[in-house]
Amino acid sequence: MKPLRLRVQFAKRGKARYVSHSEFSRTLMLSARRAGLPLQYSGKYRPRMKLSLSPPLPIGVTSECELVDFFLEQYVSPAEAKQALDRSLPDGIHVVRCRLMGSDARPVGKLIDTAAYRVQLPSGAGNEGDWRRAVEVFLSMEVVSLERVQPRRTRVVDLRPGVHTLEARIGASGSGVELFMVLDDGTRGTVKPSEVLRVLADSVGVPEESWRDALVHREGLFVKRGGRLVSPMELGKHRPAV
Amino acid sequence: MSEKLTGDLWERVEPLLLRVERPSRYLGCEWNAPGIVGEGTAVVLAYPDVYEVGISNLGLVILQEVVNDMEGASCERVYSPWFDMEREMRSSGVPLFSLETHRAVSTYDIFGISVPHELTYTNIVNLIDMAGIPLHANNRKAGPLVIGGGCGTANPEPLAPFFDLFVLGEGEEAIGSLVELVSEGKSHGWERQELLQKASRISGVYRPSDYEVDYQDNGLIESIRPVDGAPERVRKRTVDLDKWLYPKHPVVPFCEAVHDRINVEIFRGCTRGCRFCQAGMVCRPVRERSVDAVVGLVDTMAGCTGHEEVALSSLSSTDYTMIKAVTKKVSGICGQRRMILSLPSLRMDGFSVGIASGLELGGRGSFTFAPEAGTERLRRVINKPISEKDIMDAVLSAVRAGRRRVKLYFMIGLPTETDEDVEAIGRLVFRLREIVRGEGMAPPMFNVSVSTFVPKPHTPFQWVKQENLESIEHKQGILREVLRARGIKLSWHDSRMSTVESLLARGDRRLADVIEKAWASGCRFDSWSEHFDYSRWEVACEKAGIDPAFYLYREREPDEVFPWEYLDLGVDRDFLYRENQGALKGETSPDCRGGQCLECGACEEQGAGLFLTGTWSS
Repeated sequence: MKPLRLRVQFAKRGKARYVSHSEFSRTLMLSARRAGLPLQYSGKYRPRMKLSLSPPLPIGVTSECELVDFFLEQYVSPAEAKQALDRSLPDGIHVVRCRLMGSDARPVGKLIDTAAYRVQLPSGAGNEGDWRRAVEVFLSMEVVSLERVQPRRTRVVDLRPGVHTLEARIGASGSGVELFMVLDDGTRGTVKPSEVLRVLADSVGVPEESWRDALVHREGLFVKRGGRLVSPMELGKHRPAV
Repeated sequence: MSEKLTGDLWERVEPLLLRVERPSRYLGCEWNAPGIVGEGTAVVLAYPDVYEVGISNLGLVILQEVVNDMEGASCERVYSPWFDMEREMRSSGVPLFSLETHRAVSTYDIFGISVPHELTYTNIVNLIDMAGIPLHANNRKAGPLVIGGGCGTANPEPLAPFFDLFVLGEGEEAIGSLVELVSEGKSHGWERQELLQKASRISGVYRPSDYEVDYQDNGLIESIRPVDGAPERVRKRTVDLDKWLYPKHPVVPFCEAVHDRINVEIFRGCTRGCRFCQAGMVCRPVRERSVDAVVGLVDTMAGCTGHEEVALSSLSSTDYTMIKAVTKKVSGICGQRRMILSLPSLRMDGFSVGIASGLELGGRGSFTFAPEAGTERLRRVINKPISEKDIMDAVLSAVRAGRRRVKLYFMIGLPTETDEDVEAIGRLVFRLREIVRGEGMAPPMFNVSVSTFVPKPHTPFQWVKQENLESIEHKQGILREVLRARGIKLSWHDSRMSTVESLLARGDRRLADVIEKAWASGCRFDSWSEHFDYSRWEVACEKAGIDPAFYLYREREPDEVFPWEYLDLGVDRDFLYRENQGALKGETSPDCRGGQCLECGACEEQGAGLFLTGTWSS
């Protein structure tokens, strides 16, 4: 049998949102081992598990959609894999769905280019009208410059081309302002939701202490196909996810 | 625990997490973290270093499981908050909290703190302070019993005022007795003093305030007097490893820990008798775990952790009498589960290297050996009489097995050491290179790590003086000179750190003030070279009116009363002194597993002597 891939969509909620990307990937590897999945390894002396991960989730952000391709040595039914994985995951992380992919499928790490986020602003972070106006200004600009501070270098980047959708509205619960953003994330580069938030908050005139505890949630990861956003869980026609 | 004492601090902790590095250190909720119901006797165990270091400490992992397996008791964890988290916690008034339930440590019944080594002492004080508990035991009217245990309790005297109780030796049984007593005290409504008095009578447990120290005018100890009916001497506890099959389901951290693997002890104790080694003296007698028990633990933990490496640990793993049988069986499990097997603490001989190479572990990585000294004479002094031929065989075997790096550990500042001995370290490394070349192989990279010898209590060298900084720097200069070559990397531990370690190692209660002042001036994480600040320690000594030279640079008289005199770690003072004299004459002592008893005293009173699961041959 040809080698297969198990594509898994994980949710990361609660305390698990403080787990960093490298800690998360380590946790998934150990969980997959505990679950007894028929995993493929590479390397002669120190076996390395083969897997491909979706773009990093910033610390503190919850997610409905963390994607991982596990490379398998043999067949396992997606339903069984889901059950076994769910039993082996720490609190706050669970499996949303699984599907099998052929060995020729592009791994998620080389596939994803877009992410959708919902941001719930704290109650003292200004009113809806102000945020709507800030969004309008943002979208009307040709260039949105921001200083991106990274451990090794700081440089000025233009956020605008990486922001595809931006909306401000009253949240579903009826209280507080909510933002919805669709941003570049993955193969085309990454705009972080906190970066967009910072620019908007500056324009509204809200100090950092009032918005920094905003709850950010990653709703989905996508591949852009001819202007359409497609989930890697639905890409191709064969083998539906369970 | 009464309802009003339990407050969940999570809501106050959570906002701090995005402001600190690596928030997972303070989360809890890792895989295998115990569920805590919060009824019965509540224990919280602390390790005085950052999470990644603390979670790798086998002792605390064992004790947490032991307590959580008891009826009516629960055990949680806490580690030293890193600098950033301490700042956030102090500025927002959040006290030290447990990882499992995020409750304030001050609301627990028992606050156990591991005492691993001297350079954690300021962190220990900091843990007590951050918990909001009075620093000095005699100021505590309520709150948890603050109990110390672990390797560092061989001489915890400099910490004496900060602790209500200490546990001497292995804790598996003692912690059970303590928890049961505390539960009984709660149901009977005992006063704190009554509880402490009763606890101090548990075997291996003592109250430091039960021992009063009288000093002579010259600063030496006149006598140590037990008061309040306390016993003359406190004897350490040891356990039968086949009765205590722990840990079984250790917590799997989110982050990569210092020891990121399954750790199974194959035996405790060591009778090789290296004269500088405290662990080798105070962990006696040797008690091996049976092969079946080891294999069972490996199997259980492999399944419930998912780890990719298993270490069979001890003070000298190839000394396990059934090492071949156990590595064969464990290798079988490793093959099935895609794990690698490692044997830390390898002796330097062809046999050990043969076994380790056979495991194909780590492949082309490095092999670590510890010749400790550069000449055979000095190795006889420290009773680690490895011949130059053994060292060469070991290195050759390692290179033949494909290793491209060889780590060599040496010490400088050993008793009787001359410049000649130090130069010999350099010559030895060059000869090793030549011998590998002579066999037609490319020499490996030699990483030569040189530490400063620190005389420790309960060892044959407890009488000798610490080498002073000037002399150590001179010897480091020699090494820098002779080991300047491509393919050789020389590194050393900061000798000023060793000086502070040495000061505290053989210190007495008068040093508590120095520790407190060093802590108050900002000392934290002293074992991290980037955070160690020698000048703060100098100032602390000065302010406390302590002359470090008294503790560091003084040869002790044969009959001097040591601060740890009343602590019985198993080995007799007479034996240690005989070994001390043997050292000075360059005479070696055999390993008692060969049949000749050296009358060290460790097997007396324990109810059992050496316990070997197979037959010793060496």
